[in-house]
Order: sequence, then structure tokens, then C-alpha cells
Amino acid sequence: MKLTKLFFRVMKIMGSRCVIYLLGIFFMSTGWAMFTVMSSLLVKNVVDAAQTGDTHRMRNVIIGNILGGVLSMVIYRAAAIAYNVEAKRAYGKLCKILYAHEVRLPYAYYEEHHSGDFMSKLSYDMEKVGSIYGSRLRRTVAPILQVLVYLVPMLMLSWQITLCLVGVNLMMLLINGVFIKPMKRVSAELAATNGKMTEKLSNLLQGMEQARMYAAGKDTVVEFVEQNKLYAKKSNRKILFTACLESANNGFDLLCALAFLMVGISFVAQGHTTLGALTAIYSLYGNFSNQFLQLGRYLPELVGCLANADNIFKFLEETEEPESWYGDGASEMQGDRADTAQTATARTDTFGKDIPAVEMSDIVYFYRQDKPLLNGFSMHVDTGESVAITGPSGCGKTTLSKLLLGLYPVKSGEIRLCGDSYEKMSNAEIRRRIAYVPQEPYLFQGSIRENIRVGRIDATEEEIVQAAKLAYAHEFIEKLENGYDTEVGERGGRLSGGQRQRIAIARAILKEAPVILLDEATSALDNESERLVNAALKDLHGQRTLLMIAHRPSTVALADRICAVASSGREDCGNLADMV
Amino acid sequence: MKNVFLKCVWRYSPLFLLELVLAWVLARAVVEGNSLIGAAVDSLLAGEGVEYTSFLAYLLILTGIGFLASFFKSLAASHFSIRVQTRYKTLVAQKLYRLEYRYFDENGSATVINKMNADIAEADSLLSESLPFICTDAVAAVTYAFYVASINRSLLLVMLLCYPIVLWITNRVVKKLKSLKKVHRQKSDNITEIAQDCMSGILVLRAFGAEEHFGKKLARAADDLVENEEKRTRTSNNAILIRRILGWMPNIICAIYAYVLVTRGDVSIGGLMTFILILGRFVDSFVGLPFDVVDAREHWVCIRRVEDILQQRDEESGTEICGLKDADALVFDKVSFAYTKDVPVLREISFRIPNGSTVAFVGDSGGGKSTIFHLLCGFYRPCGGDYLLYGKNFRDWNVEAAREQIALVSQNVFLFPDTIRANVAYANRAADDEAIREACRNAGIHDFIMSLPEQYDTEVGERGVLLSGGERQRISIARAFLKNAPILLMDEPTSAVDVETESLIQAAMERLSEGRTCVIIAHRLSTVRHADRILVLKDGVIAESGTHESLMAGNGIYTAMYGEEEA
Repeated sequence: MKLTKLFFRVMKIMGSRCVIYLLGIFFMSTGWAMFTVMSSLLVKNVVDAAQTGDTHRMRNVIIGNILGGVLSMVIYRAAAIAYNVEAKRAYGKLCKILYAHEVRLPYAYYEEHHSGDFMSKLSYDMEKVGSIYGSRLRRTVAPILQVLVYLVPMLMLSWQITLCLVGVNLMMLLINGVFIKPMKRVSAELAATNGKMTEKLSNLLQGMEQARMYAAGKDTVVEFVEQNKLYAKKSNRKILFTACLESANNGFDLLCALAFLMVGISFVAQGHTTLGALTAIYSLYGNFSNQFLQLGRYLPELVGCLANADNIFKFLEETEEPESWYGDGASEMQGDRADTAQTATARTDTFGKDIPAVEMSDIVYFYRQDKPLLNGFSMHVDTGESVAITGPSGCGKTTLSKLLLGLYPVKSGEIRLCGDSYEKMSNAEIRRRIAYVPQEPYLFQGSIRENIRVGRIDATEEEIVQAAKLAYAHEFIEKLENGYDTEVGERGGRLSGGQRQRIAIARAILKEAPVILLDEATSALDNESERLVNAALKDLHGQRTLLMIAHRPSTVALADRICAVASSGREDCGNLADMV
Repeated sequence: MKNVFLKCVWRYSPLFLLELVLAWVLARAVVEGNSLIGAAVDSLLAGEGVEYTSFLAYLLILTGIGFLASFFKSLAASHFSIRVQTRYKTLVAQKLYRLEYRYFDENGSATVINKMNADIAEADSLLSESLPFICTDAVAAVTYAFYVASINRSLLLVMLLCYPIVLWITNRVVKKLKSLKKVHRQKSDNITEIAQDCMSGILVLRAFGAEEHFGKKLARAADDLVENEEKRTRTSNNAILIRRILGWMPNIICAIYAYVLVTRGDVSIGGLMTFILILGRFVDSFVGLPFDVVDAREHWVCIRRVEDILQQRDEESGTEICGLKDADALVFDKVSFAYTKDVPVLREISFRIPNGSTVAFVGDSGGGKSTIFHLLCGFYRPCGGDYLLYGKNFRDWNVEAAREQIALVSQNVFLFPDTIRANVAYANRAADDEAIREACRNAGIHDFIMSLPEQYDTEVGERGVLLSGGERQRISIARAFLKNAPILLMDEPTSAVDVETESLIQAAMERLSEGRTCVIIAHRLSTVRHADRILVLKDGVIAESGTHESLMAGNGIYTAMYGEEEA
């Protein structure tokens, strides 16, 4: 069966530690139940002793009970620790597997699946799977184990009374079962209304400016109040169900306790059982009944979580980005890892030599076959040259940069970087040779230093500062209270767009790649920031090969040459003078 | 009483009282039943027969009472909780709409305030869980205590002596567990945060080949979580162990003491039995209390945060609902403003914007351009000087009526998670389809919308993420068309749009400004060349003003800015 398969797969993540984990569950549940049994036996012995007056025997038995209780708690503790630690380890392990996989998917995957969307789905699924390890499985199994542990002494004390009690409990389980469905339906309805309320409220809060400026803002409040009233009205049914269920449970509890005692007394009177046994069963009965009603309750939740696990496993089966898009050809250049680094530096030194930095010949690319985006595009950029790539929106400029980064394979044609064909390089190697400054200068959470360091993980402090200086970022960074240690906040939210962009440029400079590719690096900036970013680009001019996708005239003006992507998907290159 | 929450609770307190009374009835039924059994045991042991019919009838009556009390108690509790919640939420929502705008600015982004949703949900839990538990437990504990005293006073005394220690320890344990839980939450949030960060920045991460670096970062966070968990589970399980065993002690002591009383003949065997049975229930109720109280206290913190908002000042509003004819649309007379004291943003600024003219504000960011818009919309009030809207002081205007006069096209366009149609219609709920289409045509977005598979019924994703910046901007312009207000405030987009979109937006804005009084914040000078007047803001004062030509001739700040942009 599929569910059992899934379950085994979830357990397999733990490896052999699974045994410790399962034993943990077993001893945790039974240890807890044993404690209750001990305290009931204690009660029995006290009552029996009071009746018979055998003080001496009683003392020994009671001490035995107390020791038993302590012992079962100690077992419980050891088991609980083992269980919890193993559960978290498994969760941590799954996290590592999942997130390592997550950053290695082909780029197209991230574009097709809205990033926030699939991320939040995944972390929700992870949470659920984590809860299988952390609680759900135990919650499902524990009632069974505990009921069994309680049943043994109860049956021994008086099997007649115990069987009666089991019967009554079965009836209560049935009554509870009857209410499950309508209760679920009502709860779902309420949750939906509540969701609407939350939406209204968050619309109001997030769009407060609009809410104040348009009369509709007031309507939102009115709608919220209406939904709120509706919620109260819809709650009535749930309230009634809850009341029925609660009174059934409480009333039955009372009825059955009293009836049980009555039957018990007559049993005692006839000598079938002792008063002490009666008391012990009664005090065990509360716990027994609690657990009995939990039987099966958590199973649906466990099954639900297994469905989440299924999502995770499916995601793990997505193929990762290959080493190279062009099959084994890359292995020639790839060699072993140490070698690759060497070739990179060797090839990087093409400066002043005749090897062109970037060559694109007859590139064809399309997302849909009938709509070619690039159709025989060619471009040639010499080492040390600065070239601006322009064109109308949607003509494929951004696609061009993604092809250059090796995020997609070209459909046909060839790209060469520093003389080497993409077909001969691994994706990692390609990316080592290009430093990229995206349109939205994404900053990761952490300090400014860490963000620049992404450019080259092993960079020294001086190199980072040097890169920041070259990017005209050093000055503003120094002015910040914590300098390079300033936390940039979520998505770099504590810095302005211009500041973020300059940090992104510093990051690219630090990388020391032969080619720097800028994608609309100035389009989102105000005048002042634009001036600084342009100044940084000007300084880099002639030092590195610069590819600038741009439409701002001030940025285009920095280039030696313009290459326009025509809407036909072909190139239209020329000298700056010719084009302007 | 200032606390709004308590006021709501007070309003429905009769229901609450009913709940308490019924909880007492239920506890009494349990006690009566048990003592009945005790008496039966005693008479049995004494060799007397038990009158089973009357005994049975009495038990049935008790059970019936228990059924009913439990049923109505549950009804009362739920109704109480729902009613208080409903009223409280309504009051909060209404308050949010009246609140001074300053509050939203000062308390960070909208998402932070969104946490309030969670806070209000906590109020729910307080009412529907913690409070009823506390009440039921407390009432039951007191009822049982009285009963035990009726068996034997010294028995109660021993019980009460034993429990404070347990209570104290339980309280501490509960607190410790809670704080450990919080750390756990942080650590696991940490992992998701890093992962989310990686996904949002996947392009950069990929381009820089930083997969391994971030993989390590994640692995560290995961290990950190496991390590913390090991510590946590050790501490918490020690705590549970101590609590369980210590909690057992009073039971042992009480049981033994009761036994001693039996041997001394102070208590009958039946009494002992009922005592022990009641003891079990008593302990549950009693030990449950500290847990509930700690829970309640946590919920209360959340309610306090909401209360904080409820105590904030409302937005000021006057009574005027229409302006003077022939008056200038907008006048600032020596207006000064500061968000925080001692940091003036505007200093005695004066300008006059006649009906139907177009005025542009230019200047460096931080010069006070956006602040002027905040003042014009009445989000903030001037600290000094006067702001006249159609000849009447803004202070005297009814805020809503004043805002009727103004359409705002701002930079941070908020789109609701709803259809495009609904988003445009936000400007005027009464607008029919044709009016909405017309507005979209004017805003230059109609063709785009028609190109979508579901056209006007297309759902925009949360926060409008599925539309580009340029498209969102134009939807906001369409809203302004639909509102059809005489004054138009436009904060030009600085967000990245390509040349084509820029010209579309430009054309839409020109159409929109026709026949309206128009105020523009410009980030690019090229777009405002044709304005009737350009005001150059610098350090909170108007440094220069005039037409494009006269300013260029003046060879001042404007000329310098213009030169920079062209370069």
C-alpha cells in the first residue's frame, strides 16, 4: 500500500537510528502508563490495609509501589530524551537533504514555480513531516500502548468489571465518532469565514494608504464587521455540537463511574473482589478512558502528514541542474576539481591577448517553439571592451544574460567565453568566469561584509574593502554605525536601492572574473545613485570586459559599442557614434 | 475602565457568571455521587443492606443534573467567548480605520502590523481555552476542597499544606518549558529564513556559484537546531520528571494520612474511599491551574499589544465637506513639519497651486517631496503654518470629504489579492463594467488586461506579484481615473520600467492630468519640462521655482541637476 510505503520511506531517513527512535516511543508510552498503574496500586494497598489493618505488610508494599513509580518515570525520561533527540536529528537531516537539493535545480524550475510560493509550500510540508517525527507518530501509537498497559492490571484486579468498562467506553467512542463529521464540516466553514476576515483585515492594513484615499477603505471595515457577525452566527452550530459532545462525555463519565461503583459494591458484598481493587480500578479507569477515546483520533492526522511527506519526496525526485548542459563534453575541461581552478586563472589572463572575451554565434533560443526569442543572434566582444546591449522590452536581453550565465542551454548556436566553448565547460566553470550584477540587486540576510564576500568566499578583509572602494560603496558603508558589520535586513531592506546596487557591484568586482555582466544596473536608481554607479562603471572601463544591458542613455554612453537586440531576435551592432 | 477588552468582557459577564455557577453544579454532582457511594460502602461493611431502588433513583437524578449542567455550561462558555471576540474584533477594525496615519509609518512596514492578526487570534484562545479552563478548574478545586473538609478538617489541612510546594514548582517548570519552546521556534525559523533567502536570491546565488557556501550555512543552522533540541529535551524532561514525582508526593502523604485517620477511627472506610477518589480529580484540577494561568498570561501580553493600538489617538477630522468656489485648489502658508522633534523636514514652506494648473516638485531624495504629499493627503498635520484646501483650512475639513477631492497615484501601489476588475473598482465600488474599462483604456492598461487569459477576472497574486511594476502603476492610474477627483497627486515611479512602458505611463499620466489640478513628484526632470511651475526642494525649503525655461536661464540648482541627468 502506498501509505505504508511512504511511512517506511519517512522512517528510512533516520537510518539505523530508527530503532532507537521506535524503542523511545515504546518505553515513553509504557513508562508513563506504568507510573499511573503504580499510583493506582498504591491506592489499592492503602484501602485494603485500612480494611484489614495489616500495617506491616502495607508499609513494604507501599514502598515497593513508590519505588516502582519512580523507576517508571526514570525509564520514561530516558526514553523521552532518546525519542526527542532522534526526532530532531531526523528533521535536521531531512532539512539538509531538502535544502541542498533546492538550490541545485535547473534555473527554469525557479522561473516556472513562483519562488515564494513553492518555498512556503515546502516549508509547510517540512513542518508537517517534522511533526510526524516529533509527535504525530507517537500520538497515534501511544494510546494503543497505554490502553494495553492499563488493561493488564485492570483485568487482573477484576475482569468482570473491566469488561463492562471497555463496553461502555466503546459506546462513548461511537458517540464521539458520530460527531466527528458534522464537527469537521462546521469547523471548515468557520475557518473559511475566519480566513476571509483575516484577508479583509490584512487588505486594510497593507493598503492603508489606499484605504484612506478611497471611500472603499471604509467599506472594507464594514465588510469585516459583517463577516465577523457571520462568523458569530455560524459558530452557533459548533457551539451546540460542542455542548452535546461535552455533556455526553461528562454525563457518561459520571453515569458510568457511579454505576460502576454500584456494581462494584455489590461485587464486594458478594466477595468477588476487594474494596481496594475497586478503588484501584476506578482510579485507573479515568486514565484508561482518556486514552481509549484517543484511539484512532490521531490516525487521520498522521495520514495527512504522510501526504505532505509525499510532496517532499516528489520534490526530491526533481532532477538537479546537470554539471553541463551539453553532456560529457564538459568533462574535458572539467578534469578534476583542482585542475579546473587552474584553467580558470590561466584563461582569465587573456587580457591584452587576441582571444575575444565573449563570442556568440547564431544563437537561437525560444521558450515556445513558434515564438523564437533569439533567432540567429551573434555578438563578438573583445577582451577589455565595454559593450552596451539595448533593445525594446521583451526582445530577449535578459534571456541573453541568462544564456551567458549558463542558466539555460542554447537551442542552437555556440557561445565561447575567453576562447572556450560552453559545450566544453561545466556550468560551474562558466559562472566562475562571469561576474553578474542583476537588475534587482539581491542582498542576502547578514552583514554588508558577508554580502560582498559572496563574490569570493575566501577573500580577505582588504580585498573586500578594496572592492567596495572601487564600487563607490566604501564611503557610505563607513558612515553606517556598524560599518561593514551592518545588517542589511530582509532583502537588504535597510539600505536604499542605490546602496544595494553598489554593494552588488562590489560583489561582482571582488569576484575578479574576466567578464562583468550588468543587467539594467541603473534603471531603478535616482539621479545621485545613478551618477555613483556610472562612476564605478567608468573606472572599470578598460580594466574588465563589461557587458551592460541598459536603456538609460547615461549608462549606454559609457560603452565603446552598442549592440542592439532587434525585435527579430537578431543583432544590430555598431559603434556608439553610428547609433546615437 | 480604559481597557477595551475588559469592557467587552464586562458587557457579557452574565454569561460568564452562568458558566461559573454551572461549573459548580457539575462539581457538586460529582461530589454528591461519590459521597453517596461512600455511605453505601460504610453501610455495607457495617452489615446493613443497601436500599438499591432509592439509591439507584438518586444516582440517576445526579447523572441527569450532571448532563444538563455540563450541556448548559458548555453553551454559556462558548457563547460568552464568541460574543466577546466578535465585539472586540469589530472595535479593533473600526479603530484601525480611524487611527492616525503616523502610527502605521512609525511601526514599520505593513507586514509588521499584520502580526496584529496573530495577536487578535490570541485573544480568541484566551477566551475559548485558557479562561474556561481556569474557571472550571478553580471552581472544581474549591468545591472538592469543601467536601474534603466536610469529611475531616485536618485532612484538608494536610492537603493544602502539601500543594503550595507542588504549585510553585509546577509554575516554574511551566515557565521554563515555555521559554525553551520559544528558543526552539527561533532556531527552526532560522532555517526556513535562510532557505527562503536562498530561493529569493537564487539568481545571484547561482551566478556566483555559491551553492556550497549556502548549503553549509543551512547545515550549520540545522545542526544548531538539533543541538539546541538535545539541550531542551534534557531540561524539559528533567522538569517533567520532577513535576510528576513531586506531584505524586501529596497523594501518597494524603492517602497515608487518611489511612491513619481510619485506624484512629476518625474516618470511615467509605469516607477513605471517597476521599481517595475525589483526591484524584482534585489533583487534576489543581495542578492544571498553573498551566492555564501561564497560558493566559501569554495571551494577555498579546491583548495588551492590541490594547496599545486601541489607546492611540484618532485621526483629527472637522466638519466642512465642501470648499469655496473660486479659491485656489491647494495653498501652503508657511508650513513647517517634522516627523520627530528637532529634525525639521519642511521649514515654513509656502506655495499656491491654482485650479487646473500643473506643478512639479523636484529635488534630492530626503528633500521633503514625499512629506508634502503626506501633508496634502492629511496623513500628517503641519506642525506650523496653514494648509488650505479649496480656501478652507484643512483642519476644518472632514477628512473623508477632503480626500474625496484628491486622487493619489503613489509609488507603492497596493493591489489586493482579488481580480483586476475588483482592484480597479476599489476607487469606486459603484462603477459599472464600462466605466472600469474606460478607466483602464485611459490608463493604457486595457490592451494588456485583454491579452490575459481571464481578462478582467484575472486574479492578481498576493501583493500584486504577478504583475510587473509598470502594470501595477497603470492599474493605480486607472483607479485614479475612476475616482475622478479634481486634484491629482502623482508620485512618479522610480521602479525599473523599460522605455516602452515608461512612455505608456507618461501618456496615461498626461491624459489623467487634463482638466485637473495636478501635483507631481518627479524623479527624472525630463518628464516635467512642461509643468506650469517647477518647485525645487532642498533641505526642507523651496530653493527655486519657475518654469523649465526660466529655471534653466537662472543657472542654479535646477540647471545643475538637469546637466547631471543628461550626462
